Order: sequence, then structure tokens, then C-alpha cells
Amino acid sequence: MNNGNGNKIANKFVVPIGPQHPALKEPEHFEFTVDGETVIDATARLGYAHRGIEKTAESRTFVQTLYMMERVCGICSHVHATAFSLCVEKLAEVEAPPRAQAIRVLVAELERIHSHLLWLGVGAHEAGFDALFMYSWRDREVVMDILEALTGNRVNYSANVLGGVKCDVTDAIRDQILTGIDYLEERTHHYYDVVTTDAAFLQRTRGVGTMTKEQAMRLGVVGPTARGSGVEQDLRVDAPYAAYDIFRVNRVVEQGGDLEARFIVRVKELFESYRIIREVLDNLPEGELTARMPRRIKEGEAITRVEAPRGELFYYVRSNGTDMPDRVKVRTPTIPNMASVLHLAIGHQLADVPMILAGIDPCFSCNDRSVRLKSAGGDDVWTWEKLRKYGIDYYND
Amino acid sequence: MTELNPIIALMFFPGGIFVMLLGLLYVWINRKLRARLQNRVGPRWFQPIADLFKLLSKEEIIPEDANPTLFVVLPVLALAGVLTAALYVPILGMKAVHSVPGDLIITVYLLSLVTMCIGLAGANSTGRFSLVGVTRTLTQLFSYEAPFLLALLSPAIMAGTWQISEIVDYAGGRWLMFTHPISFIIAIVALMGKLEMPPFDAPEAETEIVGGALTEYNGRGLALFKLSHAAEMVIGFALVTALFMGGTTNPLLWAVQTLVLLLVVTLIEVLMARMRIDQTVGLWWRYGSVLAIVQIIVLVVWQRIVL
Repeated sequence: MNNGNGNKIANKFVVPIGPQHPALKEPEHFEFTVDGETVIDATARLGYAHRGIEKTAESRTFVQTLYMMERVCGICSHVHATAFSLCVEKLAEVEAPPRAQAIRVLVAELERIHSHLLWLGVGAHEAGFDALFMYSWRDREVVMDILEALTGNRVNYSANVLGGVKCDVTDAIRDQILTGIDYLEERTHHYYDVVTTDAAFLQRTRGVGTMTKEQAMRLGVVGPTARGSGVEQDLRVDAPYAAYDIFRVNRVVEQGGDLEARFIVRVKELFESYRIIREVLDNLPEGELTARMPRRIKEGEAITRVEAPRGELFYYVRSNGTDMPDRVKVRTPTIPNMASVLHLAIGHQLADVPMILAGIDPCFSCNDRSVRLKSAGGDDVWTWEKLRKYGIDYYND
Repeated sequence: MTELNPIIALMFFPGGIFVMLLGLLYVWINRKLRARLQNRVGPRWFQPIADLFKLLSKEEIIPEDANPTLFVVLPVLALAGVLTAALYVPILGMKAVHSVPGDLIITVYLLSLVTMCIGLAGANSTGRFSLVGVTRTLTQLFSYEAPFLLALLSPAIMAGTWQISEIVDYAGGRWLMFTHPISFIIAIVALMGKLEMPPFDAPEAETEIVGGALTEYNGRGLALFKLSHAAEMVIGFALVTALFMGGTTNPLLWAVQTLVLLLVVTLIEVLMARMRIDQTVGLWWRYGSVLAIVQIIVLVVWQRIVL
């Protein structure tokens, strides 16, 4: 059970998972060395869905970049736009009006509901529990419809504009949200019962992929994965942004550290989201939706940290005084969580690996960025000519 | 039914075409029921047949490292095994076409032939997912086979014969599922293991090992394996019906009985999460086999003392 450097792996039997594999919804490559059914080593190769978004941002205006940043992730698009907007607003020394900040929180929580329900289905599917998968995805449609009614889109909502939000909450939409939330809350009580009491399902989650608090701290995991291991960390509480200082969040922390705890944390966070949404709708501040933004952003640099459904999302933006960002850096929550998968998989059955992988709620295309090629050697900085030559040589071989 | 021409019995009814079509129908009912229980729409009635024809019309690609003869022959062997088993089992509530002493054992082993063929086919196709799948398929075979046989053994022991028709005569229309409840339940659940239905679908768990032992199979070979699985389902239900649910009756009652069994099996399928292979083995050897033996002991003791 050592970490792949012992002599046990003389006769390697490697099970490749990905880049194309039914368990993965996005391309990523994992190699699990197994001894019978037991995993004795795990490696990952990231970068299949690298799209060069950070680089592209440098040749687009701030407004254009906002919409592109939404496309970093298809599931948590709003939180990316929020992080970028907050960052640019910080640079421009503009503050979005209170109503806009509250609507940002509203959409963020609706998005969290949709993301967690989606994850619940994926997690259940990996365990071969397709009934839960189908039902949770059916109920997810309710929140998708709400998001569509509110913003006009199901996936990339574009609720944010620099300096505020684009959509307002009318009475009709308010009623639709409240009705939808009531229905979802009732359903979520049922799902909570399933993940905590269903014997067949607990067989696959209880005691599987256990990560202690110390391990979680050492591996630097974030978000619900960390909170499932008893790490008290939630940026909505620790460093409130947007309107989270008005609408206080209660941190959901579980001590178990296993998959069951991760399921419980996420389902309990759903209840928390329902509560916050009701609170926001009851106390929505009156006023403008947008503040005036300058086209050229002052020179300087800024960072923001927000709590995406998967954990801490980090944005760094540097401006050189023009209407285009000089540098945008994104760190998505899947990167710190990915290390925990490779660590936890070792010693487990091969059958548990997809569950452990799904347990961190991975989002591969968010996490993909340019990688250093293994065999490249030489300098870290490559010129365009060198990269082009490398590509030509690679395909000529 | 003993008057039937052997060729007709083998090719059309009750073996051959009839069992295959019935199998595809049952596969459709199973898929449709599961879909409705999961709040989905589900396939239309001809979907399994359409799938079959699609696969049959496709090019068959044989992996480089595989033995081509074995690769082609194994699916045929599997189907042949199942269709032969159809001759020994009362289908549609009618007497079995063939009856020889010990045909219960023959049937059980002909049904296991499918699993063995799938195992060999997977090992022959040398893919990594296939190899993991094969290990699991065979591990599962060794875990459910004993309880399955023990469960079928309890009516056989009571009747004092290994011949299905004589067991049916012994039952004489009585539903043995009430006097052999544990064996009945074990037989059904073991049948699910045999058919690799959830929660016993670890050998073909798509989220781990893609298609299990049959990952490398395509076209004709895959179609024949799917067909053997479909036919195996019908014969498995027919066997359980004959032994535990009143033996030979009439076609209508037989259809109702097997459909009820199918409904029960589908319900279990929908309600459970997939079990890991070690959990499956544990379940069968820790509980399944022991309970089956307890059932037999109780019946034997009861027979000796009371009768």
C-alpha cells in the first residue's frame, strides 16, 4: 500500500481511465495500477481540454473577457463572472449597487443548487444507483427553469455586467423561485434520507475514501470536499464578498471525511442555499442595477476569492490602464482537489475509484491549463517558432 | 409435446426462434419498466430487435492479439448452450420437450456455459477492461453458482429426483415457493447475479471498466452474446417458475408468473446501488449459501420426522 515507489509493482497491470471513458464526462487521463482489484498507484495527466482562455483574455476588452470567463466552466459560470466582475470593479474603484450585489448572491445560490443536484446524480451514477441519478436530474430541471426565467439562459446565464447585474427580480419571477424552492426543499429532504439511510448506497460510501482533517489540510483541498473532512473553510463566511456580509451563511461542516460525509455536506448545503434565497428575496434592497463603469480600467492589480460550488475560486487581474486586461489568472477549485483523488485512491478497490473521483466534484476543463510537456526539456519559456516546430516534428514522427 | 418434430423443437418452438423473440420481448419489458420506474420514457417495443439487427449488420472487428477462431466461435457456443437448455425446461407452462434423468443439472450447466463463454471471450480479447471484467465475471460465477444450485436442490431433494419433469410431478400444482421460501428468494437473486443485473452488475460496471468482459466485442459477436443473455433470462424465469410456482400449468398463467418475476427483479434492480465484487462474494458465501443449506436441512429433518 505504498505510494507507488515500492517493489510491489514489478508486474504492472495498469487500468487506463480516460481520455475517453464512460465514467468521465470530460477528457482527462488517469492511470491506476492495480493488484487484483486493489489500486496500488495512481497518476493523472491533465490538459486535454486546455483552451488558452487566460491568454485570449489579454487580447479582448474587459467586457468581452467577462463573457469569456463565464465559459471557463459550464456548471459554475456565474461564479466565474462574479469573481471577474468583482476584481475589475475593485481595480476601477467602482462598487456595484446593493440590489445588484444581492441578485449576484441570489443567482450564485441558485447555481449552487443546480451544481449540487447535478453532482448528486453523477455521484449516484458512479455507484450504479441510476434511480437516484434520474430523479435528482429531473428535479434539477426546476432550478434550471428558474435560472432561465431569471436570466434568459440555462447554462451561461450572463447575469453579471461590469458594475452590476443585467437582470432584475420581478414579482412573477419571485413567485416562481419561491414555488420552485419549496418543491426542491421537500425533494432534498428525501435525498438526505437516501444518502444517510439507504443501506445499499451506504455500502458504497461509508468509510470509502476517508480523508482525515490533517490530510485535508496537507493536501490543501477546498470547498465541500474539505468541509466533509472537518476543515472549517467557506469563503462566504470567512471573507464575505458581494452581499454575503448581509445575508450570512452558516458553514456546513462534517467530521466523517469519507464519501458519505461529502454527500451529506453537499445535501445540507442545499438547505442552506434555500434559506439564503428566501432571505434574499424577502430583503432585496431597492435601487439601481448597475453602476457606471469606465471603459479604460485604471492601472493596477487585484485579486478576488469567491466560493464556487466546488470550493475556493481565485482570480487575479492586472490592468495596464487600457481597455484590455494585461493578465488574467484563474485558479479553479478542482486543481487543489485533484491531488486528493490520486492520494485517496491508493489502497482502495478499483470499483471505488470512480466514486472517489466523482466525490471531489471534478470539473476538468476548468482545471485544465497548459502543461509542461514531459519530454520537452530545455527552457521553460517557449517562443512561438519553437512551439510550432515542436508540433511539426511531433506529427512527422 | 413429445410428438413434436425434433427439428421444429430445436429451431422454432419451444427452442430457437421462439425463445430468442420472447427473450427480446422480456428485455424490452425490463428496460421499459426500469425506465418508467426511474421517471424516464424508455425504449419502444422494437428497440431490442432493432439493436440486434444493427449489431448484426455491422462489421466485426477482431482484436489483433485475440485468437480469431475462438473470438468468432464463443458467442455461437453461448447461444447454442442457452437454446439447448430451452429443451429441458418447461416453457409456456407446457411439458419440456426433452426429459432425461439429471436434466436439472444439465440445464444449470448449460446456463453457466454462457457465463463461461463470456469469461473466455473476455480473456481472449486481451483488453485491459476485458481482463478486469473477466476476473469479476468468473469471481461472480463462483459466488452465485453454489447458492443457485443449492436453492434448486431443495425441491429436488424433496422430490428425490434430479429430473425436472419428476419434480414438477411431485409438486403436482402446489406452489413450492410457500414451503421453500428461502430457496425461492435465493434462486431469484442468484438469477439476477447470473444475468449480471444491477446490483450485481460489477462485471460490466460501465463507470469502471467500460463494458466488462465484452468491451472488445462488436457487431455479430456482441449481438449473439446479447441474444444469449436475453434467452437466458427467459429460461431462468421458466426454470424458477417450473420448480417453485406450480410447475406446468397453462400458457397464460405461465406468462403472468414470469412477468411477475420480471417485475420483482426489475424493482430490486432499480432500488439498489451497484455492489462491489467483494461485497457480492461476501453476500453469497456468508448469507446465500448458508441460508440455502439451512433451508435444505430444515426440509429434510421435517420430512424425516413428520412424514
